[in-house]
Amino acid sequence: MTDRLILQNVVKRYGDKTAVDRISLGVKEGEIYGLLGANGAGKTTTMRMVLGLIYPDDGTITYGGRPYGGDVQRMVGYLPEERGLYPKVKVSEQIVYLAKLRGMDGAEADKNLRYWMKKFEAEEYYDKRIEELSKGNQQKMGFIAAVVHRPQILILDEAFSGLDPVNVELLKLAVKELRDEGASILFSTHRMEHVEELCRNITILDRSKTVLQGDIREIKNGFPREQILLKTASAVEGLDAIPGVTGVEGDPNGYLLRISDESAAVPVLTAAMSQSEVRHFEVKEPTLNQIFIRSVGERNE
Amino acid sequence: MNRLGTVIGFTFKNKVRTKSFVITTLLLALLMTIGIHVPFFIQLFTGGDEAGANKIGIADGGQTEITQQIEDYVSALPGNEIEIVTLQGADTAALNTEAKEQELKGYLTIAPSEGGAFPAVEFVSESGSVPADVQAVLQPALESAKTRFITAGALSDEQIAQLTTPVRLGATSYDQSAGTETPPTDGPESDKFNPMNFITVYVLMTLFFFSAMLTGNMIASEVTSEKSSRVMEILITSVSPLTQMFGKVIGVFLVGLLQIGVFGVTIAINLMLPHNRNVLAGFDLDFSQMPLDVLGYGLVFYILGYFLYALLYAAVGSIVSRTEDLGQAVTPLTMLSLAAFYIGIFSLNSTNSLLMKISSFVPFTSPTTMIARIGLGEIAFWEILLSLALLIASIFFFGWLSAKIYRTGVLMYGKRPSMKELRKAMKAYKI
Repeated sequence: MTDRLILQNVVKRYGDKTAVDRISLGVKEGEIYGLLGANGAGKTTTMRMVLGLIYPDDGTITYGGRPYGGDVQRMVGYLPEERGLYPKVKVSEQIVYLAKLRGMDGAEADKNLRYWMKKFEAEEYYDKRIEELSKGNQQKMGFIAAVVHRPQILILDEAFSGLDPVNVELLKLAVKELRDEGASILFSTHRMEHVEELCRNITILDRSKTVLQGDIREIKNGFPREQILLKTASAVEGLDAIPGVTGVEGDPNGYLLRISDESAAVPVLTAAMSQSEVRHFEVKEPTLNQIFIRSVGERNE
Repeated sequence: MNRLGTVIGFTFKNKVRTKSFVITTLLLALLMTIGIHVPFFIQLFTGGDEAGANKIGIADGGQTEITQQIEDYVSALPGNEIEIVTLQGADTAALNTEAKEQELKGYLTIAPSEGGAFPAVEFVSESGSVPADVQAVLQPALESAKTRFITAGALSDEQIAQLTTPVRLGATSYDQSAGTETPPTDGPESDKFNPMNFITVYVLMTLFFFSAMLTGNMIASEVTSEKSSRVMEILITSVSPLTQMFGKVIGVFLVGLLQIGVFGVTIAINLMLPHNRNVLAGFDLDFSQMPLDVLGYGLVFYILGYFLYALLYAAVGSIVSRTEDLGQAVTPLTMLSLAAFYIGIFSLNSTNSLLMKISSFVPFTSPTTMIARIGLGEIAFWEILLSLALLIASIFFFGWLSAKIYRTGVLMYGKRPSMKELRKAMKAYKI
């Protein structure tokens, strides 16, 4: 499958400050692509360039093989970080309006709107004004506004921030549904667990530069496994004496061992088995959170 | 084009439905209705009790000649409503009772004449003042009587009539007086100075000023609120900024037209009411004399001028992030429209001044000053065309500039950027 949204060596400078430095990525059909980075790393600038809000100084962005243009506008959906909706206009009216602006017929837009409202259990807000809604509901409406015209490319900037866990699940389901329907989704967030759950490929940006890119599993495999989780029936002695183990925390319900080398795993398991009954043994792969802090943190030093 | 229609429709529908719009429109319509009825009310209250209300007495102390002349003068007036009664009372107290009994508005005492001079006159009434309508009749009546009194029959009636007629000061240009230019035919030239012309120009100017100001501010605050609520980011990724800006400008323009339409209908209905028609007739206005050419040109300049201002207001609205900062940012534009308005209004009587000539070619002031020159002054056709061409050219120029500012401005949050920052941003955004 070819990539639908492709960025190649995209550069953006504001004066003498480089906001985005030679970023390249590709989002396939039916894929959620994670764009990660600390605040000010260039995520929003990248998204704005994809949206055609600002133009790159160098490099190209293509949408299904075409450059940016009027017809591209119609196939893109956007949920800005700060929800963009008219506070004093009825939900139904403004969402249908926004869909019409993206070239969708009014009746169809209304049908889609009702479909999504039902999905989000928010039908009673159809005739309400945005300012009457709670923040979480406003965000749901913003999400509907972004997807109501069935975009092929969807840009979600911090889509889940400020939502309660129930609503996060609802929105996650919606995002997955769109992905399964074939949408290419560019997704930015600070919440690594969402990325691990949703995305196959990610790019981590730090201060305008790409520091990590690729398949999440491959990235993880590229990082050394540094932790062992061990659960036993009774206490195990002498774990910290095993070569390669740099630290032991916790009790028999769950020891967390830090190791400098994966080869320490076997001696740890043998020691545990000899002293007690092992209920759980896992050489943990690094979490995305750790990878993120590591790759961004290292550069900061 | 389809999307332009969508933007216009949305802007129009939402603006018209806002409470503030409905309330202002109704309130202003109500005020207009009251305003139009003011003359009627005044008539109603002053003309309270019909019988004897317009009767005034004269206590002439035997100088019947003067009384007679006043009576003659008054009764000869067209549409006279004042009746003169001679009072017989010997002293003030008796006169007062007599005046009250006969329900007079008041009475005039004429002191005995001394040494052939015209006697002193005094108006005695309940309030101790002379009502305006009585004054308007009595003043010339007394003057006429005085002339006759002093000349004492030495002059004929025609001579007296000539004496009292004011001198007519005619005016003509050098060219006309030299005969190098054919004197204008009676028709259009006399039209120039009919009151309808003046009123049309005045109304068009005021209308322009208010719609430029009010709708301009509406547009600016609309854009700012879209920006502050971040709808702008979605909008600008859906529609080109030019479509968006023009859609907004046209939409709000239609709202303005609707409002003006409502006011127009209110005024028309009120003027049609029978009791108001009489009052209107008293002002000696004839709507059939409405100068259509002035009206036509006026509307063209009005619409074009409106667009020029509206586009700039949209641009200003786009560089401001918060509605609170808007007032300060639109000040220059407000100043411009104020200048256009006042130059026009203060020059209504000197439409051929240099100031008017210059400002009628400046796009920001031409919508008002050109109307004044067309309606009340002398102007060549090419001047109108040139001014129109300049106006249209500037609309294109400022439309282009505004679109650029708009495109840049809507992405700049935080404090209001200076011109320099804006230029830098334009370069950075490659717009």
